[in-house]
Amino acid sequence: MPAIEPSLPVAKTKAVAGHAAKERRAAWVLTAPALTLMVIVLLAPVIIAGLLSFTNYSLGNSGFDWVGTRNYEKLFTRATYEKMFLATLTYVVTVVPVSVGLGLGTALLINSLGRFREIYKTIYFLPVMATLLAMAIAWEFMLHPSIGMVNRTLEMGCGTFLEQIWPFMADGCADRFPVWLGDKRYAIWVICFIGVWQGFGFNMVLYLAGLTSVHRELYHAAEMDGAKSAWERFRLVTWPALGPTTVFVVTITCIRAFQVFDTIEAFWPQGGGPNKSTYVMMFAIFEKGIQQNLIGVGSAITMLFLAFVMFLTLIQRWLVERKVHYK
Amino acid sequence: MTRDWWKHLILILGVIVVLAPFYMMVSYSFKSPGEIDRGEGGFFGQQQLMVDERCVKLRDPDRNDIAAAADRFPGQSDSTIRDALAAEATAECSMRPVVFNYTKAFTEAPLLRYLLNGVIVTASIFLIQVVVALPAAYALAKLKFWGRDAVFGLVLFCLLIPVHAIALPLYIMLAKLGLTNTYAALVVPWTISVFGIFLMRQFFMTVPDDLIDAARMDGMGEFAIVWRVMLPTAIPALLAFAIFSIVAHWNDYFWPRIVVTGNRDLFTPPLGLREFKGDGDGSFFGPMMAAATVIVTPLIVAFLVAQKRFIEGITLNGMK
Repeated sequence: MPAIEPSLPVAKTKAVAGHAAKERRAAWVLTAPALTLMVIVLLAPVIIAGLLSFTNYSLGNSGFDWVGTRNYEKLFTRATYEKMFLATLTYVVTVVPVSVGLGLGTALLINSLGRFREIYKTIYFLPVMATLLAMAIAWEFMLHPSIGMVNRTLEMGCGTFLEQIWPFMADGCADRFPVWLGDKRYAIWVICFIGVWQGFGFNMVLYLAGLTSVHRELYHAAEMDGAKSAWERFRLVTWPALGPTTVFVVTITCIRAFQVFDTIEAFWPQGGGPNKSTYVMMFAIFEKGIQQNLIGVGSAITMLFLAFVMFLTLIQRWLVERKVHYK
Repeated sequence: MTRDWWKHLILILGVIVVLAPFYMMVSYSFKSPGEIDRGEGGFFGQQQLMVDERCVKLRDPDRNDIAAAADRFPGQSDSTIRDALAAEATAECSMRPVVFNYTKAFTEAPLLRYLLNGVIVTASIFLIQVVVALPAAYALAKLKFWGRDAVFGLVLFCLLIPVHAIALPLYIMLAKLGLTNTYAALVVPWTISVFGIFLMRQFFMTVPDDLIDAARMDGMGEFAIVWRVMLPTAIPALLAFAIFSIVAHWNDYFWPRIVVTGNRDLFTPPLGLREFKGDGDGSFFGPMMAAATVIVTPLIVAFLVAQKRFIEGITLNGMK
């Protein structure tokens, strides 16, 4: 913004000053609705959750007691919450690298093709668009132990060489194939799989956009410097050039992964899966806070959740801001 | 092309996994319960006439029906009339599986109502988001005022807070106000889109100041400038934001699940589908998959028609 020229005549400066006051007023009127809503809808709840996490409040009770950090202590001592952290962590630590890796892999493959690029791109993006709850129900049928497509397909492998080389197959054929959603050994992995299935297309599209910005000349330069193999070119040119995309993709996938809920509620409306093996944080907030009206504990989980998500976003911003600035 | 065969092989395997649940969902919505059970019938099923047992049961002739039908079958015994009526019922309750599945989807639960609710909720959310965010974005981008940096700082801070994460305190606030189980509860938490403000501000920064100065010369107030000068320039960005917002809220399940309890009139499509699942026994796979297909289809079709815009809109986040 250019500053007001000092050589302006006095009358004009006054007019400008009058205009500035008007502009100021207009600006506050224009931002007022947004500001009000930001405070009521976003900031106030964070503060309320923070306060309630130190109480034993329940909806419908007239009063409440301050209980200090007891709610937080529960989170770190009870077995249920240990399972909660384990499930959330397993999910995030699995889904983030796998869906980012698959996203990058498919983007590189598609980018190197001459034909059919658009078709692959469209198909891989479909799960991102589809209502996750509906697709969760479809997956539930696919994974049905007796009539589901997954086990039927696996049964076709019985009696073939697969039985010899793959112990899982041999066991399945001898006895029966897993019940997937009812088995605590598989439940969380099924949830992870659906998370990857749904999300990697999103990452792929972001990577494809990132790849278009890698300059051709860079590859030539790398080749001249002796980077002959495809792997060398990837390591020296593509990967560094995709840095900003990767930072963004990893953060957004992390934040989404923390929020997994739909599939779990669809498969196990109560209790968070066999032996609570899929009892993730979002589901815990829902179950404790809303269904069981234990608002203190629910708020404590909410605060931890917010802390995780904010921490991640701040790391991302710090990484990004070393490159670009918003002004 | 021939050199790339292995790439196509990998990608096609991926395509099979990605499409499998869609294939199954649509295929089951065509098939009869028997075909689903036995895994027969290919993609479309045999489409042989099937009898809707529930419908037959409802029409099971009792004494009054037989008496009423007596003059249609003169001189026949009650049991013959009864058999004839039952045969009629069976004939009238027979239909092709695809018709059965889709009619059941719309009659067992008020699916149309759910779809309408989905449209009402997503449309109101988007409109309010624009009405709130656009003026603020304009002020932050183009007006000089004391506190502007503070307000923008607040926007950047609020970007850190995912609304789903603060669902519990929001729910308590709404419950205290007696607003749970209302359209307001479904819409209010989403009325402020800090992301929208941020996005539109970045866009408005690129609009030349001359355009605004010219409008001021013409005697336009700031309010008129927002809606009559800035809005038209922002159409492409707004369209992308619209897709982003509509896809997110049509598909959202978590928030409606929390604030709408039991009142079917307010169910959004995902909630309706969930209830459908709760009700159904095994024989209801077909109708349920029909309902799922109906709910998923609008966005998928829109996506296939306007792919580029959709991908732009959904990945908007990438501009952060």
